[in-house]
Amino acid sequence: MLLRGLSWLVLCQLLGTVINVLLLPMLPGPIIGMLLLFAFLLLHGEVGESLHLASSSLLKYLPLLLVPPAVGVMAYAADIAADFWAVVGALLLSLLVSVLFAGWLMQKLIDRQQRREAP
Amino acid sequence: MSLEWQAAWQALVHHPLFGVGITLGVYQLAIAGYERTRWVFLQPVLVSMLAVIGILLACGLTFVEYRDSVAPLTLFLGPATVALAVPLFLNLRRIRQLFWPTLITLLIAGVFATVMGVGLAWAFGAEQIMLMSMAPKSVTSPIAMLVASQIGGIAALAAVFVMITGVIGAIVGPSLLKRCGIHHQAALGMALGLTAHAVGTARALQESEECGAFAALAMSLMGVFTAVLLPLAILLWL
Repeated sequence: MLLRGLSWLVLCQLLGTVINVLLLPMLPGPIIGMLLLFAFLLLHGEVGESLHLASSSLLKYLPLLLVPPAVGVMAYAADIAADFWAVVGALLLSLLVSVLFAGWLMQKLIDRQQRREAP
Repeated sequence: MSLEWQAAWQALVHHPLFGVGITLGVYQLAIAGYERTRWVFLQPVLVSMLAVIGILLACGLTFVEYRDSVAPLTLFLGPATVALAVPLFLNLRRIRQLFWPTLITLLIAGVFATVMGVGLAWAFGAEQIMLMSMAPKSVTSPIAMLVASQIGGIAALAAVFVMITGVIGAIVGPSLLKRCGIHHQAALGMALGLTAHAVGTARALQESEECGAFAALAMSLMGVFTAVLLPLAILLWL
């Protein structure tokens, strides 16, 4: 069961890699694979049991899979130190403003839609 | 009889499984620590990263050797990225009635968050490679890392920026939003998922079911949109 779902995921990624080389060099292979799987799910209308099992097991360990790439930071310690305050300041400021902006915009749009539906 | 301690130590730290071993061990300790304390600063990826770096430095190993050793783990990042299509699909079905507000907020606020981050860092005088690693800061790390390396940034840096953004967003986001009069659960969820990705979504789930569903949707859509549109935008702009 798990293997069948996993095979689908691998197949999607391999197809994505082929499309990446042939047609879409600016999109990474796994992202194209994800779009392919999403399109398939939209057509199919539901998530099969094997696919559900494979994707939830894999996503449960996503943080673990992210540890090795994150450790790569040690190779760039000097670059980070050089731009540290610029980067941290920009991250903080843009985060605070965009959280508020996103929440405000969504609330405005919801209010508008509800007013239109119930005049 | 004299034991060859030095040779045994060298064989241990240079064994191809050493990297996998410390990663698995450290990660499980980090997860246990996070579940025991539920403290937002103890993000398992962040704690594991610091611990692994510490061990590597103490053993005198380079990142290149570690990276080769854990290649079997990193191999699964691709299929895991593909697997994100499943929660995206499941969430999309749940919230049809607020389709347009969601899509419009996503497009406008998503572009705003990305442009603002890069613009500010540029104004503060950060290098090009830093800017490109910062651009995908609001999306979940696997996508951010892929996108960053695609547009000329550094995947590892992107992961750190993503983590900082997520943790701070989850800590200050909900109280900031409520203080500014935003109380609709869908709006809270959107704001958290859109800017603070997985960490924000985990925080949104503590607010309510509806809030969590919108956060998960915003996170996955923001990820897809960034993955598709950001490389295109950079390509056209440069």
